[in-house]
Amino acid sequence: MKNTLVATALTLTAAAAFAQAGTPIKIGVVTPLSGTYAGIGQQVKWGLDLAAKEINTAGGVLGRPLELIYEDEEANPAVAVQKAEKLFQVAKVDFLTGTVNSGSTLAVGQVAERNDRLMATTVSFADSITGDKCSPNVFRVNARAGMQSAALADWMAQTTPNAKVFYLGPDYEMGRSTVAAFKSAAEGKGAQSTGEVFAPLDNKDYSPFFGQIRSARPSVIYTSVAGNDTVRLFNQMAEFGVNRNVQVVGASGTVTSQNLAAIGKNADGFVTGVGYSPLIDTPANKKFVAAFEAAAKALPDLYGTDSYGVLYMYKAAAEKAGSTDTAKLRAAMRGLQWATPQGTKTLRAEDHQAMQDMYAVRLKDGKFEIVGKVAAAAAIGPDACTKF
Amino acid sequence: MPAALDWLQFVLAPQMINGLSIGVAVVLMALGLTIIFGLLDVINMAHGEFYAVGAYVAVALLTAGLNFWWALVLTPLLLAVLGYATERGLIQRVFHSKDRHTLTLLLTFGVAIVMEDVLKIVFGANPLRIEAPIAGATEMVGLFFPNYRLFVMVVGSLLIAAVWLLVFRTSIGAMVRAAAFDRHMSASLGVPVSTVYATTFAFGVALAGLAGVMLAPIYSVFPTMGRDFVLIAFSVVIIGGMGSIKGAVLAGLLLTQVQSISSLFISPVWSDPLLFGIMVLVLMWRPQGLFGKLGQA
Amino acid sequence: MGALASSTTTAPAHGPGGAHGRTRDAARLLALLFFVLALGFAGTAFALGDVFFLRLATEALIFGGLALSVDLLLGRTGLLPLGQALFFGLGAYVAALTLKHGGGSFWLAMAAATAVSALAGLAGGLIAIRSKGVYFALISFGLAQVVSKVVYNTRELGASDGIIGVPQPTVLPGVGAADPLGFFLVVLVFVAAVYATLAYLGGTPFGRQLDAIRTNEHRVAFLGFDPWRYKLTAFVAAACIAGASGALYPMLRGFVSPELMFFQVSGNAVINVIVGGTGTLIGPLYGSALLTGLKSVVGSYTAHHHIVIGTLFVVVVILMPRGLIGYATPALQRWLDRRGGAR
Repeated sequence: MKNTLVATALTLTAAAAFAQAGTPIKIGVVTPLSGTYAGIGQQVKWGLDLAAKEINTAGGVLGRPLELIYEDEEANPAVAVQKAEKLFQVAKVDFLTGTVNSGSTLAVGQVAERNDRLMATTVSFADSITGDKCSPNVFRVNARAGMQSAALADWMAQTTPNAKVFYLGPDYEMGRSTVAAFKSAAEGKGAQSTGEVFAPLDNKDYSPFFGQIRSARPSVIYTSVAGNDTVRLFNQMAEFGVNRNVQVVGASGTVTSQNLAAIGKNADGFVTGVGYSPLIDTPANKKFVAAFEAAAKALPDLYGTDSYGVLYMYKAAAEKAGSTDTAKLRAAMRGLQWATPQGTKTLRAEDHQAMQDMYAVRLKDGKFEIVGKVAAAAAIGPDACTKF
Repeated sequence: MPAALDWLQFVLAPQMINGLSIGVAVVLMALGLTIIFGLLDVINMAHGEFYAVGAYVAVALLTAGLNFWWALVLTPLLLAVLGYATERGLIQRVFHSKDRHTLTLLLTFGVAIVMEDVLKIVFGANPLRIEAPIAGATEMVGLFFPNYRLFVMVVGSLLIAAVWLLVFRTSIGAMVRAAAFDRHMSASLGVPVSTVYATTFAFGVALAGLAGVMLAPIYSVFPTMGRDFVLIAFSVVIIGGMGSIKGAVLAGLLLTQVQSISSLFISPVWSDPLLFGIMVLVLMWRPQGLFGKLGQA
Repeated sequence: MGALASSTTTAPAHGPGGAHGRTRDAARLLALLFFVLALGFAGTAFALGDVFFLRLATEALIFGGLALSVDLLLGRTGLLPLGQALFFGLGAYVAALTLKHGGGSFWLAMAAATAVSALAGLAGGLIAIRSKGVYFALISFGLAQVVSKVVYNTRELGASDGIIGVPQPTVLPGVGAADPLGFFLVVLVFVAAVYATLAYLGGTPFGRQLDAIRTNEHRVAFLGFDPWRYKLTAFVAAACIAGASGALYPMLRGFVSPELMFFQVSGNAVINVIVGGTGTLIGPLYGSALLTGLKSVVGSYTAHHHIVIGTLFVVVVILMPRGLIGYATPALQRWLDRRGGAR
């Protein structure tokens, strides 16, 4: 009888352990699947799906498979918060990612705090997320605006020393602060400003500003417009010949795979600072690009790549912590180093910001050629987070 | 003195010419809207979406291998069919109710929501581009001016003149104006009023679609483009007088000039609020707009 | 407003007695039903230990408050507002700032939000009330556009990111905004109070004036009343309701963002009213609950829920312009009459 009891106990324990080993780790993804940012959401989805597939084929995380649950946030923080709560409360996800715009990331970060779970963004680049509005439950695996500016300013100082720069941005907080950040980085390296103008968001026609730009005679034009605004600006600049004999540079979100097709040739020569280019010449990246292209029938951009990287970050953290418990994961993530297609990234413990080498890339024939590089430590900038 | 002349030539004049090219586009949009309101008493909140559909239809035609000129001719025709169907299928159903204004406003608002989403599904959320059929630029008043924009200005002006002629100098136009003035009397005089209604709606929509094609090479194509012109088109129509063609033309050209020139002095962000402020003032002083209705030009 | 209001030439559903007071029974029943269902839902959700659905329902009620303010204007006064989100968002921001920097008191936040909305309503009303119909709609739309753009660009208000870190206040001892069930009940009481006030107002001389204005504004002047004053009062009242509802949002979610003032919110409110039943007051609440639930469910299956909502809206406008409650009320009344005989 004792043997039977022990045997039953052993079988039950084994069964339980087996079941436990199989229960998926649920990753909630709140990302814009409709609306203006649907293109970015699509890249995020491709990156996550690929990483999940690879990780699960290799045995999962701590022996458990990853399960991705998607919800559409429509790039609206109010919707994002609702969906995030649904994922935490109803689907009981262990971890959340996918938010694109900074407002959504900040608001969802609060929801994560209330549910005692962690989240990471792979797209939002507002400095405040790991700066003055940092949260102990929010991590960022992509490069932030300051890092992008650093890479670009560095390149510009080397190729066009003491450049005369004209700044053109969309007139809203993000557009202005991006211009301001780059301006201070550039002027710190000797550039001079010959003027700035801010056009309304969704501005149709930039021709009213060209007279001002012409009379300023800049050698460089810096712009922080994005999406459809970039398409119009670049095409109209080409129309009016404003981009002749001028180097056009801009924010990392200005020309992306979403609007590149519509800008076409008129984007050639554009230089920006980013954390990724599909042309990074390492075996790891080449392998990744091939796998991504095979699955998505499209090249990865920085959003897809960073989203791919976030699941590997989670895997590394969970394995270092030996569990998916929030406090242990958080401790494991602080200072974590893991491999990504862009090389090794480090999550800075002080503000949860990923450190990585940054690149200056130039567009030619639709490809992002690498023309400069800045080491991670130089690019990251100071720790502005005082909450933990 | 030379500085002032310089300013006039190199700053003000280009600004005004730019304003003119935008103005022609706005007038085309406003014309369709005001004709639809003037005759049908229908407030077409979906007008911006028809503009967007026009641009996308052109994209589709170009992808199918046709050249831009074919697209320019075919798109308005296709849009006219769409407009006819919309009027007959949807608008007629709420047309005879007492609350026609509100119901058609709400109806077309709902239609606009659906149309925008359909465009997103069919064509994707990313922006698309149509290459301008005329390349190059001309030097004018010391500024390079793209030839295609000049083309738009010229053709746009011709179109506006053609619409005017059509409405006021042809028998078709007379029928339309008669039906606008007195529906029942016109019907008893043999005017096929319901056909006239549907055709007029189709015509207004076709104008919006034509504007969409013509402007696509300048402003690019994306699913939310319908919202670009809605506010300014409605403001122009209201200020000019709902139903007045003369009003739409004058208000359209004038307001775009005001916006263009004012952007030299105040931050461009205030451009739309300025327009809105003008609209409010006009409404307070003269609620029917500057000019009268379609029946009276 | 013939085709839209729940009754055309008869007095509205909540009107005084007389030959048409019949519909009052059915209307009261449907209103009661809403609140009973709400309580039943709350009880079930609480028993199941749910948090998400309670909060979702609270959000539906908050937007229901906004829909009530739209119905006051559209269904009662005959003005179509396309920018009511302006006051909603304004109330939300004022409450958020008051809670974050002004001591965190629920009552102070509500009072501040209502007061600011009243002032804004007065300013907006003075501009907009002179116009009717589509002109009014476009002015209200334009006002919301302009103000939301200003807020979007103002760094002190968090600009495009909005304001996070809004503390969740205690409403009454033991009941705080962080408590899903407690706050749901608080908001339910708020909405019920607004509803009851508006329903009561419908039967007062003021309410009758609004009906008269909605039916035929010109004649009202001939009867010796100045429609302008009544319309302005209604507009300010609607602004206050919208602002107070908006104030509840940051208490629920802990943040505000400029999207709360965007046209999508105004448009959704109008859709809630039309689908629910213009002029019925309880209809917009049903509409808000229904559409919030629908969006959540449909949104989980497809990203294209706009088509679904848009098509539903078009169908309602064409086939059922009086909205759900607009048709349910007379139908229910007929059933009641048949069952109970004359009362």
